[in-house]
Amino acid sequence: MDTVMDRVVSWFARLVFVFLYIPIIAVVVYSFNASEVSYRFTGLTTRWYGELFHDERLLETLRTSAIVGLLAGLAATAIGFLTAFALVRYRVRGRAFFLGAILIPLIVPEIVLGVSLLTIFSTAGIPNGLLTMVLGHIVITLPLATLVPMGAMAALDPSLSEAATDLGATGWITFRRVLFPLLRPSILAAFLLSFTTSFSNIVISTFTSGVGTTTLPLRIYSTLKTGLTPELNALGTLLVLFTLLVIALVGVQQMRRILASTN
Amino acid sequence: MKTKAYLAAGLAATSVLALSACGGSSSGAAESSDTNTGELAIYAWAGEIPDSVIDGFEKETGIKVTVDTFDSNETMISKLAAGNSGYDIVEPSQYAVQLMVQRNLLEKIDQTKLEGFDNLATKFVNPSFDEGNQYSIPWAWGTTGILYNEDCTGGEITGWSDMWDSKYKGKMYMLDNMLSAYIAGLQVQGLSATTTSEADISKATDKLLEQKDLLAGYNSDNYADLVGSGDACIAEAYSGTTSAKAVAANDKVHYIIPEEGGTLWTDSFSIAAGTDNTSGAYQWLNYTLRPEVAALLTDDASLASTNTAAMEKVKDQTLVDNPAIYAPEEDLKKSEFIVDPGDALTYYQDGWTRVSAS
Repeated sequence: MDTVMDRVVSWFARLVFVFLYIPIIAVVVYSFNASEVSYRFTGLTTRWYGELFHDERLLETLRTSAIVGLLAGLAATAIGFLTAFALVRYRVRGRAFFLGAILIPLIVPEIVLGVSLLTIFSTAGIPNGLLTMVLGHIVITLPLATLVPMGAMAALDPSLSEAATDLGATGWITFRRVLFPLLRPSILAAFLLSFTTSFSNIVISTFTSGVGTTTLPLRIYSTLKTGLTPELNALGTLLVLFTLLVIALVGVQQMRRILASTN
Repeated sequence: MKTKAYLAAGLAATSVLALSACGGSSSGAAESSDTNTGELAIYAWAGEIPDSVIDGFEKETGIKVTVDTFDSNETMISKLAAGNSGYDIVEPSQYAVQLMVQRNLLEKIDQTKLEGFDNLATKFVNPSFDEGNQYSIPWAWGTTGILYNEDCTGGEITGWSDMWDSKYKGKMYMLDNMLSAYIAGLQVQGLSATTTSEADISKATDKLLEQKDLLAGYNSDNYADLVGSGDACIAEAYSGTTSAKAVAANDKVHYIIPEEGGTLWTDSFSIAAGTDNTSGAYQWLNYTLRPEVAALLTDDASLASTNTAAMEKVKDQTLVDNPAIYAPEEDLKKSEFIVDPGDALTYYQDGWTRVSAS
């Protein structure tokens, strides 16, 4: 009886898995579709990749997204790490309040944040552009960039830093030689999560973008009125490939670490 | 080993940049709102200004153009209303022109500085939403009509009343847009699509409630694909790029203006209030008023130009004959622009809430 149940569950899991990947596979397949209408497959072509590489304006939105994602991701990771470190290490007054406050942007609807950011920036006389968009994206990525390293820090054995101190290490050396290397994977994870969140954001971007800072998701979303082109499928395929590359690199690095520690 | 994590992150970062590095030179002006006269910032609907138009303008005038796109009039208005937007030219739809004029977001156009204004078709000169074209120069236009698949319907569709026929139950889509949905609800009962009468709007609400059971859903994104593939028989649709593609790809797919009436939309170029590049803005307006430039809108974006003189300059004349791009003149006799309903907006909104919730 158990085995039947197991089999059902395992098939169900496979179905869920397939369901999750159908859209991605469809994007890849249709990026090679010769027809302009997506419901009809008329043959294979690489035409859309050619058009994509000549579409400077679309590529520029990709560049904007990448720059904003990098800047916001790096800033959020740095601030998030320091925040997490302070919250885990020190019993400061108002700690619980502060911890709650940092999570608020996760709960508040993005549209509310977007509108208020727009109001704040215009009241302060800061023109919308790269700066405002990066600031906006830091607001939404900071909770993630704080939570991820916080979890890793909480899991660290406190005796490690005690041992380091016993062996004569100063606080700074303990941090640099013991804590930081142990936390590095979580910092990388925090950065990648922040980057992805920023890269795919629409709502905050809508309200904080300015002249010359249309991001890729904004462009795709605004294309809905006149219809999506297969070029976007080609771009989507390249992004999927790129993601796989990153996962492969990070994955290989983690595997090496595991193998090294077992030897 | 320690550096591997950094390496991975760094590689991720640089390859994104490298991938897009060929993507162009600019975005340096991003941080600054006070563009010098050598730059023109345009805020427009995606896909409504072909690259060929921008490139030609840049080449001729030496002005560097930045085009950003928005997803709705409301987004665009809210960005401009906040002030400091930095845009010189915006592209509002007809009712949005009215809203923006009320909020002083547009600069009055000095007609004496325009060249080629008389190229515009008469229906876009002195339009109901902007008398005397004081604030807007229509650029692209289209209609709200019906897209249907003959194989699926088994015959000709002529008007909105077909969209209340239970024969097509579960095979019909309406546009997911309040004022667009009300066009059908009003015109099917012989009422004006621009009515502000509470009683009329309430009648239309009841009609839309009655229709909802027959619909497969409200859809503004991929209705053309659904009708093209036969997954849907009939859909309320906008003319232009997507509908035109669906009609061109399948000769069983037709786009019609409903016999009960018809409505027009137009997206116009306007000068944003507070622009510091007025001369560049007028250069843009005059450039886009040229027939050979306006013709590119049809050739490169499959959209109808407001410019009569442009029609004969269109290279692919089948596009001019495609009713999903240029609606035949006789079908437009009863057509009107959907304008800002003013205070009556609340009747529409209340009704639409009831329809959405039912």
